[in-house]
Amino acid sequence: MFWDKRFETMDRQELRRHQLEHLNITLKEAAKSPRYGQLLKERGVSELKSLDEIQRLPFTGKQDLRDHFPYGFLSVPLDKVVRMHSSSGTTGNPTVVFHTKGDLDNWAGLVARNMYMSGLRPGDVFQNIMGYGLFTGGLGFHYGSEKLGAMTIPAGAGNSKRQLWFMRQFKTTAAHILPSYALKLSTYLAEEGLDPRKDLHLKYFYIGAEPHTEAMRQEIERIYGVKAFNSYGLSEMCGPGVAFECLEQNGMHLWEDHYLMEIIDPKTGELLPDGQEGELVLTSLRREAMPLLRYRTRDLTSILAGDCPCGRTHRRIARFKGRSDDMLIINGVNIFPMQIEATILAMPEVGNHYVIEVLKENFLDRIHLKIEVREAAFSGTLPALESLKERIAAALNTELGVHVKVHLVEPGTLPTAEGKAVRVFDKRNQQ
Amino acid sequence: MAKHLSIFVENRPGKLDGITGVFAQNAIDIRAFSIASAGEFGILKTLVNAPDKAYALLKAGGHTVSLRDIVVAIVDDAPGSLRRLLTALGQAGVNIDDSYGFLLEKGKSAAVALEVDAPAKAEAALRQGGFTVLSDAEVYAL
Repeated sequence: MFWDKRFETMDRQELRRHQLEHLNITLKEAAKSPRYGQLLKERGVSELKSLDEIQRLPFTGKQDLRDHFPYGFLSVPLDKVVRMHSSSGTTGNPTVVFHTKGDLDNWAGLVARNMYMSGLRPGDVFQNIMGYGLFTGGLGFHYGSEKLGAMTIPAGAGNSKRQLWFMRQFKTTAAHILPSYALKLSTYLAEEGLDPRKDLHLKYFYIGAEPHTEAMRQEIERIYGVKAFNSYGLSEMCGPGVAFECLEQNGMHLWEDHYLMEIIDPKTGELLPDGQEGELVLTSLRREAMPLLRYRTRDLTSILAGDCPCGRTHRRIARFKGRSDDMLIINGVNIFPMQIEATILAMPEVGNHYVIEVLKENFLDRIHLKIEVREAAFSGTLPALESLKERIAAALNTELGVHVKVHLVEPGTLPTAEGKAVRVFDKRNQQ
Repeated sequence: MAKHLSIFVENRPGKLDGITGVFAQNAIDIRAFSIASAGEFGILKTLVNAPDKAYALLKAGGHTVSLRDIVVAIVDDAPGSLRRLLTALGQAGVNIDDSYGFLLEKGKSAAVALEVDAPAKAEAALRQGGFTVLSDAEVYAL
């Protein structure tokens, strides 16, 4: 039932002692990075006597990672680094996170802990229906399930026909899948005349990387006859594995032996008591290559009260309520509107009058960009317009890693920008 | 070189209204037009009696518009005459980007407006082939 019983069920007091010990180790290691070295020296912080003293440290944000790109937060020599992961694009520097061998091992251990908690065992067949590459979702689960000892099918994202083929041929019992893709795949199964409950062997789904409702989870469980578990993570802390649901499916245990969590008021930065909704702030306690102190995740949640009947002592966080910044999650890929704007402004043929709409189409997210054609650059031929449209789409695809549907519109048809105009209309929840 | 207007238009009901409205209010005479669509948007090309004025008016009205060179030739309104014209251009190695034709006098003559990759070469080839190529003033007075 437990992958790592000692840590998963550790007495709260002992857990806090463990946290303080590793917080101080982390501080010492973080001080070796150029950025934290300077910062901790300025603040005169070395050893902390209690966990509460962490409030003496300033927050770290995504912008700090960008400002000190690429190695400003690296705490070990480069010859200890064995991997990096990165956010999409090149606009304003992507956030890059480095890993030592130890980091990868700890990360795989956390993911294995989560999968084991859900019931996965050696002998199970795990199909990883998630993008591999710089995105942490694919590789994170891949190494976790291998560590656990389940046969792992690195299927990657998309291609329903092939996913189904794997599921049938190798009797897949577990899958890591975007909730929206799970619904899309179910329509394909229906078209094929298959009932996933009878014709497949699925038991566990790990759903994450994008926000979804409780109703959506229950729908997925009903269609596939599986238990679907929520997963949370962010590349800055390693990737998936930071928090995960147990069999109770009531909130996600945030692994406090690896992360110190705080909930703050996103506006004032003030610490909020357990139970109150705010922004999740995490300090890594075991990360070697790039420990981060008081990192603002921008994810809004709250800490659930009370002990969990499962016996794990790590506190649970509630389903995420949204973000305290303008980040968009498009089929699991994190995108900032600023990336779109920078890409558009680099193209002289189009103006800066544009609107971004995000819609659900056949269960998946789709970004639509409506952009006015600039009069000065209009040569008057149809092929030139079609080529312009394709070039905009290609440039955005390169920057964002997702396909954007581009619509060229006449000047004056989009709302005029006044001050900091709202250009992003996320209509996914209105559909 | 004679010019016609090329105007970017979204492919939606009523979108041409704004353009034809500008023409109507300013006594601009449309001689001929063609519309090419690429799904959500298209291009309206139109030959008018006062292209510079029309261009300025449309531009002031916020439209995306450009003036493009055209060659206008007169053909007989008889079977086979368009073919003769195209052969003349083809043999001269001229490529046609866009074209439309309109009747001038039934049974006698029609005009063909051509947007080509090499206008000067096209004019020479057409004249050599026995076609009348209109001057700018003649085009706008049609």
